[in-house]
Amino acid sequence: MKNKTIVYTLYFLSFILGLQTIVGCQQKPEEQKQGITITDDLGRKLHLPEKPKRVFGFTSAMAEMLFAIVDTSNIIARTPDSDYPAAVYTKPIVSNYPIDLEQVLALKPDLIFTSEGMTPLDVAARLEELGIPVYYQKYRTVEDVLKGIEDIGRIMNREQVANHLADSLRKEVQQLEAKYKNRHNPLQVLTITWTDPIYVYGQNTLLTDKLRILGAENAVQETFDQPYPALTREYILKLSPDVLMGGTKEKLEQTFFNQYPELRKIKAYKTNRIYAPTGNLIERPGPRIVESLKELEGFLYP
Amino acid sequence: MMRGLYFILALLLIAIVIVLGLQVGSFESDLSTIAEAFLNYNPDNTTHYAIVHLRLPRLLLALVVGAALAFCGYLMQAMVNNGLADPYLLGTASGASLGAVLVFFGFVNISVAGFYMPPVLAMAGAFIVTLVVVILGYRKRQLIPAQLLLAGIAISSLCTAMVGLLTFLSDSEGKLKSVIFWSMGSFERASWTLLPYPAVALIVALILFAFLQKQLNILMLGSERAQALGVQVSHTRWAILITVSIVTGFAVATSGPIGFVGLIVPHVTRGLLGTTGRSNLLFCAFVGGLFMLLCDLLSRIIYPPTGLPIGIITSFFGVPFFVYLLSRKNYKFSS
Repeated sequence: MKNKTIVYTLYFLSFILGLQTIVGCQQKPEEQKQGITITDDLGRKLHLPEKPKRVFGFTSAMAEMLFAIVDTSNIIARTPDSDYPAAVYTKPIVSNYPIDLEQVLALKPDLIFTSEGMTPLDVAARLEELGIPVYYQKYRTVEDVLKGIEDIGRIMNREQVANHLADSLRKEVQQLEAKYKNRHNPLQVLTITWTDPIYVYGQNTLLTDKLRILGAENAVQETFDQPYPALTREYILKLSPDVLMGGTKEKLEQTFFNQYPELRKIKAYKTNRIYAPTGNLIERPGPRIVESLKELEGFLYP
Repeated sequence: MMRGLYFILALLLIAIVIVLGLQVGSFESDLSTIAEAFLNYNPDNTTHYAIVHLRLPRLLLALVVGAALAFCGYLMQAMVNNGLADPYLLGTASGASLGAVLVFFGFVNISVAGFYMPPVLAMAGAFIVTLVVVILGYRKRQLIPAQLLLAGIAISSLCTAMVGLLTFLSDSEGKLKSVIFWSMGSFERASWTLLPYPAVALIVALILFAFLQKQLNILMLGSERAQALGVQVSHTRWAILITVSIVTGFAVATSGPIGFVGLIVPHVTRGLLGTTGRSNLLFCAFVGGLFMLLCDLLSRIIYPPTGLPIGIITSFFGVPFFVYLLSRKNYKFSS
């Protein structure tokens, strides 16, 4: 009788345990659903089961951002054009154009960071179908880049590092802004990105804000649909910028001015104010933004 | 009587479009500014400078290239006796594109001895590809039109595939933009130094074929009938081939491969003047030039300041007219 009681008790206990296991298993997805939901700069809502631990940037600028904020062990890859900081070379290369979906899947990232215009939305949608969320940032101003740094810090649980970095950069930006505030006759700056056809930095690019901070202006005042519009020789002749950026005078003499001799009439050519900004600095929105501002300052006010 | 009227009308329209085109640009300029720029030119006045050194060569280049492509299209259609032929049949366009793309992708320096290399390599590409196509189309000391056509298609496809491969492997967005811009045609590179090349080639060709127009009309009856009527078919074909490759080569090298003009304008010419008109070739060149001028003007008005790629406009505005022409009951390719 006593034995029977023990056996029944054990049956009962194992039944309860089994039930508990089943209920526990069913509760897991609910916990997953709880996770965290973040909204990127394009207004896209992303659901993450937990704070991401395995991440990488789909652009070289984003790689710079991540390396400045995130613990290096949490960064799992780099794109072929990523070359800064040196630690980036320790990470495996992942092709972002054309995207190698299998390679991305094999890396098992929790989240991919990118910026507007650099990764097509359909590529992001395909990745999300495969369970990999893609977070977009959008930068129109220098302040947007600094907010982007804080944003990554929040998402990656590195708020202290990110906020400290953003605050120190912000302070330097404010100092520069104060130094060049209310300048009369701001310098008109034209920056070319390609010579045949002539493509330039348009009004709705980050460079416009960098120039504003430095008391200068983007010579292209008209807002085009594209951030980097194509211009005609006549248009540039009419702008006649004070400063031309896009290459050294020697290099542009051989290519740009050799091809378009009519443009030797612009003010920047006549006054010899032609400069070659460092590609990585002027092109990449990232933690080296103050370095970029200081380089531009050197060109504008030698 | 009608023929003379058409010529006068074409010339008048060319003059009107040039005057209108001179007023379109970034600098504001009305008729009086334009007149002043020519009659009282001041090199320090940038508006004058833009009118004389940027707008006028651009318009003249559009005129010359349009005329050249239409003229070469007419010759090619006569040579292969087929209304589907165009100046790019010999692979000129794809050869030129490949040449230019090789420069954009860094296989050749962008500037050599002060020469901007994309047009130079485009010209070389056009000639080399044409030569290969002609060698393939030549059998038993004769040019076989059908074989020439097939060789042109095959070699063009090969060049296009090579351009595609280079484009796919491109490591920079700028290079892609250059290739796209080049492949759809533009007159933005126009200058007084560039203009004489296609212009001289076209004028020499027009003079040469003013004497060969009769042979050309007979050739359109078919090679056997032309031979029977005393035309030296082989010589005429060679003359056409050499002319087309030189004139088209210069046109493509300066402005990129602009499609459709060389196909439709010869049909327009025959539709208006008949298939065997004495001055069809000259009229064809005028209409081609006028059509290209109009397309360039429209492209700049629709999408300032650069204008849409010219090849898009030629197709958009050329196709409806072409369809109308083909639907006319009394239109025939040859008599």
